[in-house]
Amino acid sequence: MEAMKDRGLDMHCMMMLEEFEQLRPALERMQKWAFAQVKQAIDKAGLMVTACESRVKTEDSLAGKLELKGSKYAFLSDITDLVGIRVITLYSADVDKIAALVENLFTVDWEQSVDKRKNHSLDSFGYNSLHYICRIPEGAYVDPECPEVAGIRFEVQMRTTLQHIWAAIYHDTGYKSDVEVPRDYLRSLNRLAGMLELADDEFSRIRNGITDYRRKVQRMVSSGHFEDVLLDGDAFRSYLALHPFDRLNHSIAAVNQAEIHEISLFPYLEVLHEIGCKTLGDVEKMIRDFGEDAYRMAVHQIGGTDIDILTSSIGLQNLCNVAMLSKGGGVNGLEKMYEILSGPSPYNRHRAERALAQARLLGIKTE
Amino acid sequence: MEVKVISPEDKVLVRIMGRVDTTNAARFQEELGFIINGQMKDVELDCTDLEYTSSQGLRVFLMLQKAVQGRGGKMVLTHMQTQVKEVFDITGFSNIIRIL
Repeated sequence: MEAMKDRGLDMHCMMMLEEFEQLRPALERMQKWAFAQVKQAIDKAGLMVTACESRVKTEDSLAGKLELKGSKYAFLSDITDLVGIRVITLYSADVDKIAALVENLFTVDWEQSVDKRKNHSLDSFGYNSLHYICRIPEGAYVDPECPEVAGIRFEVQMRTTLQHIWAAIYHDTGYKSDVEVPRDYLRSLNRLAGMLELADDEFSRIRNGITDYRRKVQRMVSSGHFEDVLLDGDAFRSYLALHPFDRLNHSIAAVNQAEIHEISLFPYLEVLHEIGCKTLGDVEKMIRDFGEDAYRMAVHQIGGTDIDILTSSIGLQNLCNVAMLSKGGGVNGLEKMYEILSGPSPYNRHRAERALAQARLLGIKTE
Repeated sequence: MEVKVISPEDKVLVRIMGRVDTTNAARFQEELGFIINGQMKDVELDCTDLEYTSSQGLRVFLMLQKAVQGRGGKMVLTHMQTQVKEVFDITGFSNIIRIL
């Protein structure tokens, strides 16, 4: 407290600092409670955020604030950011989602809250953040040991990661307001704010575009328009949900009455590209054209054994073998395929040669 | 079939010897139970002397893999003989179990 006197604070400010120290336990209790509410609500809503943090103002930070504008505050309770919660989101639309959650959790003081995103004129850029001044709703938190908690106002700041970066760097300059910043640097900072706003919009546009694309692919796949669907990660995932290889798998498994252990077939996406499949239609054609030979090849391998467990890759694995050989990929093509699936190994060559020999034995087209 | 634990620490190395088939798969599972029930996250199964595995053996490998991956670890089978590797290939197990 002695150090605070060096700041030249007047008696009024010193008394507020003293009151703040007395109130600190209550502030800490309310910080803990309110933060837990926000965090829980975000988790429940399944929202992905970059950061969710909270703090009680430090004595030094409060003294700094009072030094700048102490006369503005008649009472300590006029300072609304003694407890602060900050949520940093990935996308600008998520700021509004978080805001909706906060509105449901707490009583928002609309008079004191400020949406800095809307404060700029059409030709200016700068600090973009949504600040809500909140109170705990009546009856939501009862603490007989600290009844004053219910009346304390606190601040919830919500902004995007890019807005946060700008704010953090601005804060790092040490200037507390635009009027303090040298004109040239203020222009540079504001220019960057404009650029980041543009980047935020662009990221949102990309996210919306990807979401629309995924929905479109899902619709096309479930309606069977495979020819028009390019073979990418989203398309293949939707296609696999239709279990296109189940029929072949069950035919193979039936030979030994084997159980089928389900595994992810997603690693085969790269293999299918290697074989030359460009659309889901190409994959469908592969099943039609090579399904019979794939069955024969699999049965040739397991028929003479007592193996009674197979993975769900059994059908696709043999389809890819046959397709690669039929397209003239030969041993090198098969080796590359095994390398994609299992990583490089001298054994891949041996495995490829064995598959080629089996295909030849069965009269399967190999070039 | 014989199982020899070389280092039972956080990183465990186990050498599997002989044949794993219907007659001894239960004992094989029992002997490796300490991996299934333990906490080790880095498991290497040295298959240099593994001569054969039946479907029951594959199920034990699968069980081990699930347990190790379930606690965020990784399991690898090393120095596997060609005829054993072929069993992993034709069943599709080499797509899910890492063989070096």
